[in-house]
Amino acid sequence: MRRAILATLGLAMAAGTIVAADQKTVTQKGKAFSVAAITIKPGDEVVFKNDDDATHNVFSTTKGQEFNLKVQLPGSSSTQVFKTEGVAEVQCAFHPQMKLKITVAK
Amino acid sequence: MNAPRSRTALLAALTLSLASTICYRSVIAAESNTAASKFFASYARPDAVPYPGDNHPSADRELLGRTLFFDPRLSGSGWISCASCHNPGFAWGDGLPRAIGHGMKELGRRTPTILNLAWASSLFWDGRAGSLEEQALGPVQAAGEMNQPLDGLVVKLKAVPAYVALFDKAYPGEGISPATIGKAIASFERTAVSAPAAFDRWIGGDESAISDEAKRGFAVFNQEGRCAQCHSGWRFTDDGFYDIGVVTADLGRGARFAEIPAMQHTFKTPTLRNVDRRAPYMHNGSVASLEDVVELYDRGGLEHRDSLSPDVKPLGLRPDQKRDLVAFLKTLTSDDRPVQVPTLPR
Repeated sequence: MRRAILATLGLAMAAGTIVAADQKTVTQKGKAFSVAAITIKPGDEVVFKNDDDATHNVFSTTKGQEFNLKVQLPGSSSTQVFKTEGVAEVQCAFHPQMKLKITVAK
Repeated sequence: MNAPRSRTALLAALTLSLASTICYRSVIAAESNTAASKFFASYARPDAVPYPGDNHPSADRELLGRTLFFDPRLSGSGWISCASCHNPGFAWGDGLPRAIGHGMKELGRRTPTILNLAWASSLFWDGRAGSLEEQALGPVQAAGEMNQPLDGLVVKLKAVPAYVALFDKAYPGEGISPATIGKAIASFERTAVSAPAAFDRWIGGDESAISDEAKRGFAVFNQEGRCAQCHSGWRFTDDGFYDIGVVTADLGRGARFAEIPAMQHTFKTPTLRNVDRRAPYMHNGSVASLEDVVELYDRGGLEHRDSLSPDVKPLGLRPDQKRDLVAFLKTLTSDDRPVQVPTLPR
């Protein structure tokens, strides 16, 4: 099974149809995001890690970039894939001072 | 029960009890003074009041703002001023469960205090305003509140020569406009800062400043009560929004974010400064006393919705812990600088 997957991947990469997706991590601690802004490529993943002693809920209502990671208890992690180009204004449902700008660009 | 005699001993016990429950009476040798001093620092009062770059404070701006704040001509009826609801005699509230607006109609939410809002990151129970300048104009225009359209207000103020002069002194060349009206009121509101209280004197090292009950109550506040989770820092608020299980149909901040279930029925964490003077409590005044507030939290909220904060859960407090907690909350009461009611220009 694994060999089949690897073979497929190899073919796809050779054909240029897949670009390796990156993963970035943003931490929540002290009721703040670890960064104010990041830039990623379409298809990249962002891991939102709650390293705080507070509960958070990361979301975006920006048109075309909507997502809601729901309630994240301390210690948990959630991943969001950003497929389309654009700018997502990300915030925490409980702590509106927590703001993160994610720019998705090729 | 005997309370620890020394503040350092109490705080050493507190800072070392992060993960486990520790009897506050145990005096544990602190690893260093760093943990204790970090804990103190989180309650240190700031040296200065913050303000935005385009609205520096000045005596002229404070006077104009205070004059406008106490002037009922800012309402359509000519009878309601900002101070009608934000009454300095009631710690800048009105002592009512829900505010009364135009035509004596009861509104949906309680008048919040304006104390310490210079540090707030958002205003209103649902945080919809991002600045005091923006917030000030909301109730003025709202039909149910002061019912005064802003262009009509500008005409009213321009007809009073003394107001023209006050605006010209405070905001030279900017004239009378919704922007300068909002800026002036905000400038005054930033001066509403709660004075040092008995709690602050105790934090500063005066062991006799608060009672043993209150000292035990502070330990409950930080440990079994879990209050400091949201009521943090010298203002005793993290400016966050939570559903704490108040009996209400009001969606709070969630009304503007219908697609986010966790935001439904969430309201802003208020400051606890002078909380003893600001009954009744919650966004709808549905909780009459501090004892009732403690009861709400001890039960893990009175309504258990999906949006209830995971941090609000039954606490299992003993009656003496509940009494001590209330005793501590009362040490946050200060004798604030009396406000001089202005002579309103005719």
